[in-house]
Amino acid sequence: MANFYTSYYPNYFSVEDILASQDRVPCKFEVTVKGLGYLDASSGNEDILPGSKIELPCWMARPLCSSKRLPIVSAQLPVNYRERYREILSADACVVDLQKLGPHFYELGLHLLPITSAPDRPRLAALLTQVLRDRLRPIMDDAQHCSADETSQKIAKLDRLEIRLFRGGQESVRDRERWLDRTAHLLSMAPLLAASNARHKRKRQDS
Amino acid sequence: MFVTNIIKEFYDCISGKRVLVLVHSDLDAICSGKILQALFRADHILYTLCPVLTLSDLLTAVKSHKEQISSIILINCGGTLDLVEFLELPPHIKVFLADTHRPLHVCNIYSDDQIRILGQLDDDEEVPAFGDVFRDDETSESEEEDEDGVSRISESRLEKQRERRLWEQKRNKLLFDYSQFSYFAGSTATLMFELAWKLSKDTSDLLWLAIVSLSGEQLCSIREQHKLALCAADLNTHVARLHHTNHTDTTEPAADTITFQKDVQLSLYRHWSLVESMRHSPLTATSLKLWTHKGEKKMFELLAELGLPLTECRQLFCGMDVKLRSELPTLLEGKADKYGLGGLVTPSFSRSHVFHSRCSASDFAHAALALLEPPSTDGLSMSHAFLDASDCLNGSTVFAKGIASARKQLEAVYRQMQTFLDMNQVISAGPFLYATVLQGSPLAAFMSGPHVLGALGRFTLGAHVSASRNKKARSLPLVLTTPDSSQPQDWCLVCGIPPLADTSHRNFFGKAFEQAVSKTQSRAQLEFFDSHVIRLHVEDRSKFFDALISLLS
Amino acid sequence: MLGDKAFSLIQELDRSQHGTLPPFNEDAVRQALEEIDSLFQQNVADINHLAEDDALVAGIHLRHAALERNKRCLLAYLYNRLERLRTMRWQLGSVLPSDVRTNLCEPELEWFAQYSSTVARYMRSLGDGQGLDLTVDLKPPKNLYIEVRCLQDYGEFELEEGEVVLLSKDSTHFLPMEHCQHLIRQGVLQHVK
Repeated sequence: MANFYTSYYPNYFSVEDILASQDRVPCKFEVTVKGLGYLDASSGNEDILPGSKIELPCWMARPLCSSKRLPIVSAQLPVNYRERYREILSADACVVDLQKLGPHFYELGLHLLPITSAPDRPRLAALLTQVLRDRLRPIMDDAQHCSADETSQKIAKLDRLEIRLFRGGQESVRDRERWLDRTAHLLSMAPLLAASNARHKRKRQDS
Repeated sequence: MFVTNIIKEFYDCISGKRVLVLVHSDLDAICSGKILQALFRADHILYTLCPVLTLSDLLTAVKSHKEQISSIILINCGGTLDLVEFLELPPHIKVFLADTHRPLHVCNIYSDDQIRILGQLDDDEEVPAFGDVFRDDETSESEEEDEDGVSRISESRLEKQRERRLWEQKRNKLLFDYSQFSYFAGSTATLMFELAWKLSKDTSDLLWLAIVSLSGEQLCSIREQHKLALCAADLNTHVARLHHTNHTDTTEPAADTITFQKDVQLSLYRHWSLVESMRHSPLTATSLKLWTHKGEKKMFELLAELGLPLTECRQLFCGMDVKLRSELPTLLEGKADKYGLGGLVTPSFSRSHVFHSRCSASDFAHAALALLEPPSTDGLSMSHAFLDASDCLNGSTVFAKGIASARKQLEAVYRQMQTFLDMNQVISAGPFLYATVLQGSPLAAFMSGPHVLGALGRFTLGAHVSASRNKKARSLPLVLTTPDSSQPQDWCLVCGIPPLADTSHRNFFGKAFEQAVSKTQSRAQLEFFDSHVIRLHVEDRSKFFDALISLLS
Repeated sequence: MLGDKAFSLIQELDRSQHGTLPPFNEDAVRQALEEIDSLFQQNVADINHLAEDDALVAGIHLRHAALERNKRCLLAYLYNRLERLRTMRWQLGSVLPSDVRTNLCEPELEWFAQYSSTVARYMRSLGDGQGLDLTVDLKPPKNLYIEVRCLQDYGEFELEEGEVVLLSKDSTHFLPMEHCQHLIRQGVLQHVK
């Protein structure tokens, strides 16, 4: 099995990846860790005792789980990836509010793959692909056909990866409309300036 | 001077240089401006286009651009002024004038080379001869002195002075008669289209602009019917010429066709329901008196006789049964005379693209006019409204917005007219009828410009004449006032509509207002190019009207 | 939790609107650097004691993971800011608006100046020394002359041939394309069909 210790996806500097790997994973410590008792807020110890359960961020859990000689922690899947939600997602994935379940559902799932136990891994992988496959078609449909006012409503239940897909779809629809209108060749204001003008206008309208 | 060869004396003179085009804020000028823009784009003539509404706009525009430009084109503005004097033009600037407002100022007609008028005078227009208006006088101030040192004026000098006085009196009377009535000549857009045709650059888009301008003229009734019919026939020959080459293969639908065929003359009926459209069109509303209960019943009777179910007539036209829609012109034509609706079904232009519904030229005219004068609550500047109206003529989303605005404007005009008649607010002031839009009424926001005021005036006059039993009503003109949108407390707009009995469409109110203002020293701004609309200070209103009554009686 | 300060920098970047730069958060950067330092010192101390106490290994791994995390967050913060600055050079030109300049720190300003001069040097060297401005014509041009509408009162504008055009609000002009591009990108003019 390849060592997932130092892989960064898509690249080292990616903000999305850093945000996704901050999400918490419930871990159980197998050994004593001296002097780092402050990580566990509830216990007053100076050290972390074996068997104590702490929620660690994923970036910390991964190297500790895959240590070659003796795993320092053993990790479990967070609640959102376990049996109950797995059943809900396989029943009807389209209505689940993925933003509430964790805005980085898919990315975190990918990060969790190496730290789950071996028998669980294929199930988790299958879950992720299944959910995305189920939700993809309504997202594509909405992106192609929804107007500017309904966008925020449609986005409210989407995970961040899905929001990127949605916006990509909207952009392509807009480009096609411009091409059909024969306005695609018109020079326009620098996008940064246009965005900042739109922001100022919204602020003025709100105030 | 009048330009005889438009290409040599106008178009060739501006090639290669940068031009300033000043366009009046009305439909005809917008259409002409667009045709000119298309021609300039094809020939890479650099231009700058600015909209103007008032005399002061024109002056500021020319002043700010004077240093950088050597040719100015004025469209529908400035023909009635002495341009050289008003604009303080340096001699190297050439001005090309294309104005439908008549009478043209004599200084412009007899100018040497600086002011060139595009277009020709109609046969029935009479201009005072050069000798009657201008005269080379010896202004020698030498006075004869006899040996006594007392200056004595010799008899010949006395004779000359008396002759000069007589000449001046005759000249003033001539000029007064000449400029007494203001009227309109052929549309500038047709002129520009013919220029395009002579340059072999005419397309059906440019022709459509000329057609929309003609429909605008028909809507505002600014010229006699027979002249408009002649123009329509001329444009129809162009339509035939342009579309002849397309129809080689009849199985394939033509992408873009303009047709001239019998059509129902109801405002915006394709974008509205039949009942609403009948209610808001001046022709049907005045003949059937639709603001009264009896009138409404008559309308339903008419619809029943035609065999159109009421539920169908109440829903949007595009939702009506297809068979009824296609038969509507023939049905209406049959029953029109019985209800006094002659002229309801007449030939007019309409255009259709493949897979799009047919749109009539008057729809475009309504939409553009409505966008040109948005309600003052929107807070749009004149130039912004000008650009909106200009975009609307291209079609697409702005056109839909224009249709919606046109509907609102028509509804406001109808409701205001109804208020006038129901509350008997059309008062007879002796030689004319008089009505005021009250300040603070919600409808006052819609009456913000010369065109909509004119439409309201004509509608009110027609309704009043049909409702009143007074036989004289047909020969009375109407004066309408409304609070000025920018400063409703202090200023109001006054608009004069000629009587219905007068078919020559010559408006004497321009001169009448001018004289009333000078007699009473009222604070007024006679700044619109349509001279029958002025801006008057509210406090001077009563004395102005007294003077007007005494002038016209 | 370890690494929170550095993570807050990344959250700041994420919350800011795409393409804009929030003010440079010197405090958070400094605190993150201090945290890295203290973790490193603790690790060095522990390694020296490793011979006696085997159980310190876990702590070392944990602190090392936190160290790597802080490093990653700091580097990502700096890198993403530079990327946004680079986009600004290509869209807004070599002079930044003042509200953007106040959000940058000294080294970023220096970097921007050097980047601008590098780009300018490269553009000058193209075409056998004749120079080619790469920031214009980002879309293939279709016409020599274009029709533009003026959105604000700009005043007088001089074309290359010496002609002066007065740009007042809502006036329409027909001008050569090369001269208007820069005003269109600034938002003073609007290209119409």
